[in-house]
This record gives sequence, C-alpha cells and structure tokens, in this order.
Amino acid sequence: MGTIELLMQGFAVALSPESLMFALIGAILGTLIGALPGLGPANGVAILIPLAFSLGLTPTSSLILLTSVYAGAMYGGRISSILLNIPGDEPAMMTCLDGHPMALKGKAAEALATSAIASFIGSFFATVGLVILAPILAGFALKFGPAEYFALFALAFATLGGITGKNQFKTLIAAALGLMIATVGIDLSSGVQRYTYDHLHLFEGIDFLIAIVGLFAISELFFFLEQHAGDGLKQVALNKLKLSMKDILFIMPASLRGAFLGFVSGVLPGAGASLGSFVSYTLEKRVSDKGEFGKGDPRGVAAPEAGNNGAASGALVPMLTLGVPGSGTTAVLLAMLISLNINPGPMLFQQSPDLVWGVIAALFVGNLVLLLLNVPMIGVFVKLLSIPPKYLMPIVTLIASVGIYSITGSTLDLYFMVGFGIMGYVLRKIEIPLVPVILGMLLGPEMEKNLRHALVLSDGDWSILIGSGLSIGLWAVAAAGLILPMVFGKVLRAKMKRSKDGLTD
Amino acid sequence: MRMNDRVFGVLLLILAVTYGYEATQFPVPFGGQETVGPETFPILLSILLGIGAIYMIIKPDENAKWPALSMLLELAVVCLVLMAFAFALEYAGFILAATPAVAFLCWRMGATPLKSLLTGVITSVVIYVLFTRVLELALPSGIF
Repeated sequence: MGTIELLMQGFAVALSPESLMFALIGAILGTLIGALPGLGPANGVAILIPLAFSLGLTPTSSLILLTSVYAGAMYGGRISSILLNIPGDEPAMMTCLDGHPMALKGKAAEALATSAIASFIGSFFATVGLVILAPILAGFALKFGPAEYFALFALAFATLGGITGKNQFKTLIAAALGLMIATVGIDLSSGVQRYTYDHLHLFEGIDFLIAIVGLFAISELFFFLEQHAGDGLKQVALNKLKLSMKDILFIMPASLRGAFLGFVSGVLPGAGASLGSFVSYTLEKRVSDKGEFGKGDPRGVAAPEAGNNGAASGALVPMLTLGVPGSGTTAVLLAMLISLNINPGPMLFQQSPDLVWGVIAALFVGNLVLLLLNVPMIGVFVKLLSIPPKYLMPIVTLIASVGIYSITGSTLDLYFMVGFGIMGYVLRKIEIPLVPVILGMLLGPEMEKNLRHALVLSDGDWSILIGSGLSIGLWAVAAAGLILPMVFGKVLRAKMKRSKDGLTD
Repeated sequence: MRMNDRVFGVLLLILAVTYGYEATQFPVPFGGQETVGPETFPILLSILLGIGAIYMIIKPDENAKWPALSMLLELAVVCLVLMAFAFALEYAGFILAATPAVAFLCWRMGATPLKSLLTGVITSVVIYVLFTRVLELALPSGIF
C-alpha cells in the first residue's frame, strides 16, 4: 500500500467522532499547559500520561489525545512569550523578541493571531515532511543490527544536550544516572535481582512515569516556592483583533521559510526546537529586516513560531522511526508509547500502520483544531493564564499525585514521586540536565538488550560494536555531538543571549 | 568558590564506585556464567558516571545560588506535607488528606489562609467527584 492510502486510512481513524472529541480536549488542555508559566509541555504531557493510562483509553485514543496535547503545548507556549515576555519553554524564547514589543504597541491580539497562523503553517508543512520522510527512514532502519542500535542510543545521548549544550560531562552524568535507575529490578534475561535489596516493590523496577512527574512537576513546585513566584506576573492587556488578508499574506514567506528550517533542525539529532526557532529568526532577520526587527515586526513573530512548531513535528521523525527522541517533550511522548506497550522503531510502521498513520493524521486534525480554537478563543486562554501560580501549582501537584496513585494504587509510588522531586531540585541546582535522566530510564532496557545481543553474537568480542560501516558512522556522529558543542556551543549561546539582551537594552 | 560541583562530584563518585562494586557481587545466574552477564552493563555505567564525576571535581562550574537555610527548612516541611498526604491517603481518605495538603501549599506560596483553605476544600471535592463519579477511577474514600 502506498503512503497516501495509509494516510487516508489514518484520516478515517482520526476523523471519527470519538477521535475528534479527544483531539479537541487534547488541544484545549495542551494550549493551557503550554501557556501556564512553569508547567511546560514536557511536564504537562507527563502528568496526563498516567491519567490517560488509568482511564483505560484505547492506545489509539490516548495517542490522539496526547499528540494533540503535545501540539497544543507548542501553541500555548507563545501566549506567555507574547503577553508576559516569559517563554513557556526554551524554544519559545525567540518569539519574545518581536512578540512582546508588538503586544506593548497595543497589538497583542494581532501578535497572538499571527503566531497562531505561523504555528499552523509550521506544523502543517513539517507533518507533510514527516509523512514523506518517516517511511523512508523506517525502511533504512531495518538494516540496523544490535550493534548499530547500541551505537544509535549512544548517539541519542551524545546529541541530546544539543549544539547549545553547556557542559557535556553533566549530560553524561545525567544519562548515566537515568540508565542506572533503569537497571533496578529483576534482570530480564538472567532473572538476577539487581539493586532491589529484597524489596518486593522494586522487583519490577521503577516506573518512569513516577520519575518524570517527580523530576519535572514536583521540583518545579519547589522552585516556585523558593522564588516566591506565587503571585504571577503582570501581563499586557488584550486588544480587539484586526487582522486582514493582507497581513496574513505579509507573514506567509517568513512562515514558510521558518517551517522548512524548523523541520530540518527537528529531524537532525541534537539540533532540536531551540535551534529551529533561533535559525528561523536569524535568517528571517537577515532576509527581510529593515530596522523593524526586535521592535515588533510580525515577521519576527511568524518565523520563530513556524520554526519552533516545525521542529516539534520534525522531532517525531526520529522518535517514531528509530525510537530515539530528540527533545524533552518527545522523550515524554516516547514514555507514553512504551507505557501503552508500543515499541517505536522501524517495525512500528510494519506491525501497526493503522496506529502510526492514525497519529500522523491526528497531528493534521489537531493542528487545524488548534488554529480554529486559537484565533477566536484566545481571550479565554488569556483569562485562564491570569490564575496566579499560588493556586495553580498546588492544584497541579494534586492532580499529578492522583495520576501517579492511579497507576498502581500504591501510596509507595507517591513517596517515590516526592523523592524524585527532591532529586530533580538538587540536580537542577547543580545544573545537571533532567532530560537525559528520563531518556536513560526509557532507553536503558533496550540499550542493554542490544549490547547483550551484539556481544552474544560475537561471542564476547567487543569490537563488534564498531564492526560495520554503519555503526562506525553512528559513533562518529555521536563523537561529533559531544565535541562540537565544546567548540561552538559558547559562541552560539552568546549569540542567542545577545539577541535577547538586545531587546531589553 | 566552586564548592558545589566539587561536593556533588565526590558524592557522585562514591555512588559510581558503590554501584559498580555491587554489580560485581551479583550472584552467578542460573545456567552458569555467560560472556555478558547481568553485571556487564552496570559496570559500564559506573565507569561512565565515574568519568563524569571526576570531571566535575577537576573542572567545577560556577556555583548556583542556594536558598537560605530557612528556605531549605521550608522546602523540607513541604516535602513532609507531601509525604503526610501520601500517608494519610489510605487511612483518612482522599478529601481529608488532600484538603490540608493543598491548603498548606497555597498558603506557603503566598495566598491568604482563608483563600488557601477554600482552594483546598474546593479542589479536593471537585477532583474527588470528577475522578470517582465521572472518570470512574477509584480513590480511597475514607469516612465519606
């Protein structure tokens, strides 16, 4: 069957009334999650996974729900960027540059509408790219043996810090910690207990959902408490929207360029959404700036937003085809797939095409829903955004605990969640990134399995790990991913910082 | 001063060594020793963590700001409240356990006591009803 037919079948799944309802709920929740300062997309999806899980939704329904949340969170991030000048997550940083000045000029509604349209264009074209590229990559990945997979996982960790990463050794520490947590429990191939200390509860290992919610959500609560940030921030008032067809056409070229650049950096390992929006903004500035950028040029809003959303969809390519996520939020999506008993990777496209294509179709549908929601209903979201964190964070914490409790119905999991919260707080204080910890927990079992397979095949000869051209290539990219940021990271980060500081001066 | 990274570097190094040592103590799996046993991967990890920890000790980054002692104590109290919530959940039921926990958190984040209490009561009741009645998820009901 051709790609088009499969996609049409996907649409048949995604357009059923039930799926549409889940897409709508997901889109609303996602926008809220993305918009609330301090919650962030990775957090939000993490809190919702155990809930979707314990509600007993079918895999397809929960996937549609959570992909819409994912897409929605990307839309929502821009609301706080524009109105509060505070990015919901790192990729939304570039949107502040022109978005907030526009809001200050009394064009907040236009800035929000422009960014919604640009987000839609970014996601739409990147999803088209996903449809074209994913099956090709999945076909290619079938050539991978255990040694190549082991190298691929190493590559995922090496490049996770991204080109803008600060300290590669701290990424290494984080990855090692995550992988170590993953080894707790009964070893699947030999039956030996590892690090369980005879506690029955540890035999099955530690559920990564508990770790995700603890590391992200609970540590965030500690940070809010520490910074006395309970009152929230003053936001710019919303004006009445005046957007003509001409304005939309004006931002079209910028959005299209942003979408393309974003998609490319989303697919590439280690580049991610931050770089996507950064590159889109800088290029746009170089192409069409006439001294208006940084002062509220709509194109300066459109380009990074399209780039950011393009990268978010682009990042799904390596996630779905190789099982290797490129960013924090895709790592959480991977967690979702694993907890639904779906193993992403090349086989996914052959074994459950209806599911994959249903999700891809859901991305299209979700984005359209988001565009329709975001332009007329923006006022509602803005209202909700003004709920101060001092009420919101405790409520979110409670909902997160309910989700965790409902996985196994054991209060012990709640203690673990608090424990991970403390760990997350300390790690963030000493600037050890949290995403590699999560990724380590997720990929650990697969990574170990592939290492063992490879070594059993070679009868204990470690040189099999660099035995094929393909694996040598993967190791080379991994090494580059570790070394390049040490050389260029400083320069790039300084550049990003300069363009942000330039605004406040 | 760059003591932060040094201290945690040492702690992580200790963790790496202990973790690696324990891996060498795993019992031999049933069916005899294989070329790659359950200990191979953990030993690899302990080496990785060790390298990272030593780097942290040798080349520490600038210190991040730690909060004052009083704030650390407050955070510790918050942890205890969260744990008390977990402990009370099965005995007192969801509403009675969640109300004080949420109210306390709101209060510590700067809400007035009355508003905190209101938020606590309303959210716990709404979430309880929503989850048990609408979403049909079992939450301990306690005395209700």
